[in-house]
Amino acid sequence: MPELGRAALIVSLGLVVFALVAGAAAALTRRRRLALSARNALIASFGSTLVASAVLATALVRHDFAFEYVASHTSRALPTRYALSAFWGGQEGSLLLWLLVLTGLGGLAVWVNRKKARDLVVWVVPVIAGVATFFAFMLVVVASPFATSAPPPDGAGLNPSLQNPYMVAHPPLLYLGYVGLTIPFAFAMGALLSGRTDERWIVATRRWTLIAWTALGLGQLLGAHWAYEEVGWGGYYAWDPVENAALMPWLAATAYLHSVMIQEKRGMLKVWNVVLVSLAFCLSLYGTFLTRSGVINSIHSFAQSPLGGWFLGFIVVVTVFSVGLIFYRLPLLKARTRLESLVSREATFLYNNLLLVALCLTILWGVTWPILSEALNGEARVVGRPYYDFFLRAFGLPLLLLMGIGPLVAWRRASLRGLAKTFAWPVAASLVTGVVLIALGAGSSTPGLIAYTFSAFVLATIVLEFVRGTRARRALAGEPWPVAFSSLIGRNRRRYGGYIVHAAIVLLAIGVAGSSAYQHVNEARLKPGQTLAVGGYLLTYQALAQTKNANATEVRAVLDVRHGGTTIGTMRAGKNVYTAPAGDVSNEVGIRTNYLTGEDLFVIAEQVYGDGSVDFRVFVKPLVNLIWLAGLVFLLGSVIALWPDAREERRLALRYGEVEAGAPASS
Amino acid sequence: MARRSSPARLIIALSVAAVLAVFLLYTSIAGGGTPSLKPTQLAGHAGRVSLVGLVVGPVTGDAHGSGLHFRLRDIGSKPGSTVVPVVYTGDLSDQFKVGRHIVVDGTLRNGTFVGVPGSLLTKCPSKYTASSPTKQQ
Amino acid sequence: MLCVVVVALPYLREPQPSSDRLEEPDAAGRRRLALAEERDRALAALKELEFDHRTGTISDDDYRELVGPLRRDAAQALKALELPPAVGDQSPTD
Repeated sequence: MPELGRAALIVSLGLVVFALVAGAAAALTRRRRLALSARNALIASFGSTLVASAVLATALVRHDFAFEYVASHTSRALPTRYALSAFWGGQEGSLLLWLLVLTGLGGLAVWVNRKKARDLVVWVVPVIAGVATFFAFMLVVVASPFATSAPPPDGAGLNPSLQNPYMVAHPPLLYLGYVGLTIPFAFAMGALLSGRTDERWIVATRRWTLIAWTALGLGQLLGAHWAYEEVGWGGYYAWDPVENAALMPWLAATAYLHSVMIQEKRGMLKVWNVVLVSLAFCLSLYGTFLTRSGVINSIHSFAQSPLGGWFLGFIVVVTVFSVGLIFYRLPLLKARTRLESLVSREATFLYNNLLLVALCLTILWGVTWPILSEALNGEARVVGRPYYDFFLRAFGLPLLLLMGIGPLVAWRRASLRGLAKTFAWPVAASLVTGVVLIALGAGSSTPGLIAYTFSAFVLATIVLEFVRGTRARRALAGEPWPVAFSSLIGRNRRRYGGYIVHAAIVLLAIGVAGSSAYQHVNEARLKPGQTLAVGGYLLTYQALAQTKNANATEVRAVLDVRHGGTTIGTMRAGKNVYTAPAGDVSNEVGIRTNYLTGEDLFVIAEQVYGDGSVDFRVFVKPLVNLIWLAGLVFLLGSVIALWPDAREERRLALRYGEVEAGAPASS
Repeated sequence: MARRSSPARLIIALSVAAVLAVFLLYTSIAGGGTPSLKPTQLAGHAGRVSLVGLVVGPVTGDAHGSGLHFRLRDIGSKPGSTVVPVVYTGDLSDQFKVGRHIVVDGTLRNGTFVGVPGSLLTKCPSKYTASSPTKQQ
Repeated sequence: MLCVVVVALPYLREPQPSSDRLEEPDAAGRRRLALAEERDRALAALKELEFDHRTGTISDDDYRELVGPLRRDAAQALKALELPPAVGDQSPTD
């Protein structure tokens, strides 16, 4: 069986190398059939990679411990769904997943575009194949998932905190995001290589980028939710390098999504866009490198591994390639129009981009500083949380504000008079909100207050847009309100989908501000019968309960919760002591969610003593559940923006069809 | 038609300058981060540093009481190489064990590294796993 | 297992086709494409301006100011292309 896996990977490697070499040759010499052959090779490589993946998956499900990979990541007692999720739990498996998703998405992308813009696709194939070659090479030569050895009686097992539905979904989503960013990158490089000056590559990759970006965003939220519930230190994001590794490409992709709109509508910022998409892709490679090389101290990182050097080399190659290509094609990328006014939607998008990229680069700096300072001073220096928090506020708060301003400013040139009228209501709403909040005590945190006020502003602008749009639609078509509302969205999916996504980000901002700037914490060591007060809640420690099951011994401290004088329930928090991996202890926090206010009561039983007393740490986190709600809204908005629009498709087909109509019809 | 040079370049240049200024200001005030050291590099360092190492027993004492005592050696070094004694009070992750890799902030005092409460993080070695950091949030 | 290899590649070793050249738009084709994109861009901008005006985001004064240049751009683009625009499919912008 492992031979089948190994062989399949070698086949994959051969296919993508062929796709790379033949594809490049075909593009250079303009040979149609060779190009088609290369394309087929790329698509076929998905097939062989799938075979390899199936081999690994089967081995995992069957607990075939002859596979070293299976032995080190699973155990007999492990339920099937977690055994499967161990596929991407280790280095080699996650590389295989990368390759699988890459060949799958890449093959699909070139297949879907096979009849459109052939001269573009002919260059896209070798670019994707080039990236795939790196991963296939790593899998065949450096880190094979199919190494075998004498099977141990039982496997090492999966860390219990990873046996969780969130951890099953989190990596695949992230990978969809990381790898998905390869597609717009490949098309951008393809456009540059082919010398085309039109926007075909943007049109072709718009949905791909959206899907990758959404997946990356959702994957991160899932990871944060897992950290919040499972790891249980009271937070959801620790600015750990591995967390940042996913955030950086997401920020770059967000900037790219916006600036690409400018290129579509005004033909500007062409150079900026190719730079951004290359940056996003390089960052996703860099993120993978950070996670795998052990180069940076992180609580998530893998052990030191030889993969690091290879990855770094590949990133350097990709960077040099894209920078070189951009320089080479610089004359082709001249803008046809100019920025006419500093007060225009283009300008607002530009500010938004600058802020996003600035935030992205400060995070990059923070992550890389330990490596740099070690190289420079011989001593690694680590930046702490305050660094990240400061810059998140410095750049994030203006970004929040811009989210409300941008959609309402006219293209090209906006008059200040017009702006004053448009923003009158939202500004008033936010000022009123600010005053009310101060009266409610929110003045305790200035950044928090600013975040709330800005959020109110943005929400007001979004609501206003929906209301105005629906009203106009009613005036136009005489439809009743609900129909007008849905047909408004249906006819302007990108716009209103975008507004919904903005609303999601606002919810996220409110949730983050509430749960960090306005949270209450208290800790104490309690004996049974004693009470702890925090943020309006009164918790009384009752007793210690212990249950044994096949997997673990569960120890729970039981607490009574009172709020405002009435008993509202019981909570349990404690630890699990596992049988396999033997002796591993996991933290099991107690979370009580108030669905009306979005507030969480979060209880950690830090330490259980022999005499029955327990060290408790309790948080009250206002509005934290808005963060998870934001994820759902985010998904909704994205889906709406992505949804195929038949009219738009026809218009695009006509636009590109009418030029290529003269070409001879072929396969 | 007069061709005005695009303000876009000006905006970008000014913004980059502004961001750099903010950045330099911050790092000059807050300092360039905390040194992250291995036990063998610790000798002679005054001030607060971040120590990364492998836990060596015996582990005695109580982190929530008078202090947990243990020793650290370089990750990847052979048993018997230089160790640094550490004393730590504060929240302790359940993953903490002899043989695990940890990061702890603190200062070297009279040959013993005194850890800052709440700063000890435990890594789970080698696999793609996460430990439970008990950080201040 | 290795027969998978055989299947994929010679896919297109088909009978000698009339031309093995990769079609790509020539210079005239590229120009037309660029002009088509410009035309679409101008029309879309007009549509969006009208939409914003109808919903009240853009005031009457601003509309009057902005619509002139946009109409001119669109007319120029159409003329340069000398082709009728995508018929009837005034699809929504954005």
